[in-house]
Amino acid sequence: MNLKTLTIRHTRLISLCWSRYAVRSGSGLVYLLIALIFGLTVAHVLITPVEQLIAEQKRATGKMDPPLVREAISEIGQPVIQWVLGQKTLKEIMENAAERQRAMMNDPNNASLAENRRYDGSGFDTWVNFLIEKRPALLSAIFLVLLFGMPFVVSFLAYNQISGDNQSRGLRYLLLRTERSNIYFGRFIGTVIFSTAVMAVIVATITFYLGMKTRIYPAPALAGWAVCGFLALSILMVPYIAVCSLISVSVDSPFLSLVLAKLTIAGVLFMAILGSYAWKPAKYLMYALPWGWQCNLLHPEPAHWLGAVVACLAYAAVFLMLGYYRFERRDL
Amino acid sequence: MKHVVSIEGISKSFGRVQALNDVSFEVPSNSIFGLLGPNGAGKTTLFSVVADFLKADAGTIEVLGIDTRTISRLQGRLSILPQDAQFQRNVPILDQLVFFRLLAGRTKKQAREEVVHSLELVGLESFAKRRVGSLSHGMVKRLGIAQAFLGHPEVILLDEPTAGLDPASARQIRDLIKQLQDRATIVVSSHNLGEIQELCDHVAILDHGKLVLAGSVDEITRADREYSLCLSRPLQDSELEQLNSIEGVRSVKPLSHAGASQSEGSAEYLVTLDLSADHIDQDTVIAPILRSVLDMGIAPRKLAEGRSLETQFLEVTGGQTDQA
Repeated sequence: MNLKTLTIRHTRLISLCWSRYAVRSGSGLVYLLIALIFGLTVAHVLITPVEQLIAEQKRATGKMDPPLVREAISEIGQPVIQWVLGQKTLKEIMENAAERQRAMMNDPNNASLAENRRYDGSGFDTWVNFLIEKRPALLSAIFLVLLFGMPFVVSFLAYNQISGDNQSRGLRYLLLRTERSNIYFGRFIGTVIFSTAVMAVIVATITFYLGMKTRIYPAPALAGWAVCGFLALSILMVPYIAVCSLISVSVDSPFLSLVLAKLTIAGVLFMAILGSYAWKPAKYLMYALPWGWQCNLLHPEPAHWLGAVVACLAYAAVFLMLGYYRFERRDL
Repeated sequence: MKHVVSIEGISKSFGRVQALNDVSFEVPSNSIFGLLGPNGAGKTTLFSVVADFLKADAGTIEVLGIDTRTISRLQGRLSILPQDAQFQRNVPILDQLVFFRLLAGRTKKQAREEVVHSLELVGLESFAKRRVGSLSHGMVKRLGIAQAFLGHPEVILLDEPTAGLDPASARQIRDLIKQLQDRATIVVSSHNLGEIQELCDHVAILDHGKLVLAGSVDEITRADREYSLCLSRPLQDSELEQLNSIEGVRSVKPLSHAGASQSEGSAEYLVTLDLSADHIDQDTVIAPILRSVLDMGIAPRKLAEGRSLETQFLEVTGGQTDQA
């Protein structure tokens, strides 16, 4: 494996050409469409109840009270975020909810939202508190769902980095004009560029809509957190694109490459979750991919955040090296 | 003679199928070299190994003195028309070829000029902004040739460059190849043996992955003391016996292979001379043969010294034909 053959000029040309080609070939458009539909649907599902809450409040009082709305969002979002972050199981969350309901029935006058939170057995966790109190909670919830779902979506873009052109032998026009390393890494970078651009569009659209339509969060807070979320999503896509890259150089059929990419990304997670019911240590399977690290990309502690970033980049480096090793040696 | 391509002991297998088996030959500088063989003989595999698309199991290949395992050192000096490679269907052909030249370090303006010139050579300049998906098969083939001629490669590998082209386009491509001979060495594989004989000065014949014959076309077709004789009708046994009895004739045998002349009523024969006697030379034998044929009331339609490449090809490959 000789990375000295990489040339910046060729890699840059190939990556730019590839990101443009991603749109022309259709796979980029499919990804853009699916990513937008997924991102905006998630946003719609989470924002709609808030809009209803605002409407009800306006009907009742004639105006909207942003702090009260934010409080309500925090209350609804807290158990969900705890579950997504793996701090509570569904069973614990259900038990807490039942306990809160009992407390409210016994003492309705003392059942303000702030009070209710105190019934949560463990109190406020710093991370959950950061996501729902210190940052726009609605955007936090959207980012968490996107962090979970986007790895599945990105394979629609990344599955065909090599396999399609290998099947059609189109790569042969390039092989005498540049090094295999430039083709491999150029296409990977081109895919990352395209994916990052799509993430920017999704995050910008959601943030703009949230800011303009609900007006419950101040614009600077929204914009700042949107940038963090965009960074988290963009960094997270890198290892998943790299694993697709590895699969794409290993099989010649683009369809098979897509299926394997989906099965790998989803399979690791589901095997870890389902396997852990039968055998606890099976949950560590999720560390075969960045599933176990990725939520830390929204962690308040810089050390945790940096750890997640390093983990994502390390996964990407391993998958890329394996893929390049295969690409350099295989018949094309 | 300087050799620009040296192939030494190349073997390649796909699973249990031995596609190339210890193939060795050399391609002389500034020659047009023909690579022949029946379907599945290993021609395309050999091209792919030379271009390092496929990794050889054994053996070495040097192009311009450079081992092709370090193929990047040949960038810009070696180009290929791959047989079955497809261009990006949704990208204009101009953009695709300009991209290739940008990789070679040209500016956009230079790249565009070179590409337009190359497209003019193959008659595709008016299609520059079209997408490959909208071109006919023949046009795509010409586009492939245009990309192979881009820049100034010193060695050009053309895998069946005229397959699927109409006769006029095929002639245009053959003329183009001949023009390029001054500045490049060209290796061509083709199904058209007549084309190879017309175009090439050296050939190698592969069969079942093995090299069965290599050398200059002159050497291969000038089989010593052999003539191919085409007559207006087939000879009867007694007439054949009469020709065989002429002094200096070793044998007159009908050529019954697929490539022999098959036009209605005509027949082709291979005449082998025996010039061991001191007082006999070729002319003293050929003249009585022709006289006898005329006396039989048969018109000789063609007498050619040596064998056709096709005859030789069919003999060494056991009579398999590469032509559809």
